[in-house]
Amino acid sequence: MMKWLTVDWHSEKVKVPVQKIKGKLWFHVDGETHSLEIPSGRKKDSQGGGHKNGEITAPMPGKILKVFASAGQKVTQGQPLIAMEAMKMEYTLEADIDGTLKELNVQVGDQVALGQHLAKVEEA
Amino acid sequence: MKFRKVGIANRGEVAVRIIRACQELGLQTVLFHSTPDVNTRAYRMADVTEEIGGGPSQESYLSIDANIQAAIRSGVDAVHPGFGFLSENPEFARACEKNGITFIGPSSDAIRLFGDKISAKELVERLQAPLIPGYKGEDQTLERLTREAEGIGYPVMVKAAAGGGGRGLKIIREASQAKEMIESAQREGLSAFGSSKVFLEKYIEAAKHIEVQIFGDAAGKVHSLFERECSVQRRHQKIIEESLSPSLTEALREKISKTAVMIAEAAQYKGAGTVEFLLEGDRFYFMEMNTRLQVEHPVTEMVLGVDLVKAQILTAMDEPLLWWEDLRPRGHAIECRLYAEDPYMNGVPSTGLLGFCSFPEGPFRRFEVGFEEGDEITSFYDSMIAKIIVWDESRTRAIQKMEQTLKDTVVFGVKTNIPLLLKILSHEEFIRGTMTTRFFETHFSKGLKTIELTPAEKEAALSWGRALSEEHKTSSSNVSAAPNPWTYDWSSR
Repeated sequence: MMKWLTVDWHSEKVKVPVQKIKGKLWFHVDGETHSLEIPSGRKKDSQGGGHKNGEITAPMPGKILKVFASAGQKVTQGQPLIAMEAMKMEYTLEADIDGTLKELNVQVGDQVALGQHLAKVEEA
Repeated sequence: MKFRKVGIANRGEVAVRIIRACQELGLQTVLFHSTPDVNTRAYRMADVTEEIGGGPSQESYLSIDANIQAAIRSGVDAVHPGFGFLSENPEFARACEKNGITFIGPSSDAIRLFGDKISAKELVERLQAPLIPGYKGEDQTLERLTREAEGIGYPVMVKAAAGGGGRGLKIIREASQAKEMIESAQREGLSAFGSSKVFLEKYIEAAKHIEVQIFGDAAGKVHSLFERECSVQRRHQKIIEESLSPSLTEALREKISKTAVMIAEAAQYKGAGTVEFLLEGDRFYFMEMNTRLQVEHPVTEMVLGVDLVKAQILTAMDEPLLWWEDLRPRGHAIECRLYAEDPYMNGVPSTGLLGFCSFPEGPFRRFEVGFEEGDEITSFYDSMIAKIIVWDESRTRAIQKMEQTLKDTVVFGVKTNIPLLLKILSHEEFIRGTMTTRFFETHFSKGLKTIELTPAEKEAALSWGRALSEEHKTSSSNVSAAPNPWTYDWSSR
């Protein structure tokens, strides 16, 4: 939900539209739109995508290029799980926690949508 | 013949533009859309929607069969193709004609004539209109092509005969590059358009892109609606367009208009079309003719007070138009194309879910918007999400108005090229109006430098974000929180 906030900006009171979208904070001030990554871990905020919960979702719409692990396998934080291609760029999605790969919902060649649930790591 | 139902074979902002025109004329609209495009404004506005296939354009918007089937299924009397996709495909126009559906545009013969760059140039040559020196012969051997290139004098442009949008186009700067460039253009032409045929043309280094809007009415008369200047281009793609051009004298304007009308008349052209020229000093050369509505048509509408889309539909219904008696340009109009891209990453497309968007209304500000909050910008299509058009009494004021309008425009969720547009508008060459098609490449090809927020600014902004979450909590649980020193929410007062 977008909110208009009245804030201090360079010692002036200004009205600023502010909105959180998928772990990012968007705001428009002085004729410019900015977006900032909201640091994770500070709060258990279910709106933010930045917190670690073992959920692997597609950060962009694209195609699955490789799957590095299989369901049931033990994985560690930072271990590459899936490689995907979006707009001619390759991204590697890693496990964000230690645990067991509980779900793996995609295979090589699948077209996935933004935010689509791809895999889940269950905490050890 | 009066239409009852019109099909729209397009998407995004132009589909919205066509739906509005139809609604104002009392016509029912049927949108032919791809699966993911259910989350677009045109989908919500159309009276009826027909799914034609999946996200990739080949399965939907570029499929003649899928569009014709949808047209037959929904029982439309006519189809408006918009621009891009099938709008300049003579096979599609012909398939409509064969199935008794009116194609809102010129005849398939006219599309074919101008679609083949070589037959178009032959026509222009016959009319003795100015052409850039070049070679467009049937002898396509490497020996002949390199010899012709020598004769024309470098730099020489080699272009796929069936090409478009900058594909299959190379610039040969010196003799040693000729072989490699010609072969590369032939390969690209073959893979992208199915034909390896190329032509050669003198490459003009610093020219302006000037195009004349023409319109053939139902009675068969072709009119000039004056020119647009579209010299601000990135990789042959227009970014900012205006009408009129700041570079034409009255005498030159009349001459270029007459030439455009003559070319269209020779093809008995019906409907909206655009004749593109290169202008170097006070000499202009024919480039090509586009047989469709242009993306930048609104700037012409703004300076003349006409509605080109309604004119297209009325003409297709064989109805006369009212506005020919007094077509006089007033003031100046500018259009900026809003692309979903990261201006600080050299224009990498930015996809995602659109958040809050605000297009601030004001006198003579016009927004052609295809998407709204909650819609997804996908990687399947062109990244243009909207067009912003302004009109004012003079070019200087129009630039000022555009700058303010862009600063007031808010798009959350995907990044936009607004910072780049603002930089272009404030560039002295643009302000003087002397920019050529090299302008962007010369000054902006390196992309914009990232403007980093200071740590204090970041900290402040993040505290607003925390304030948003706090508010969430206090309203749902009943815990009274201490007033946040950073913010208070005026909208709840």
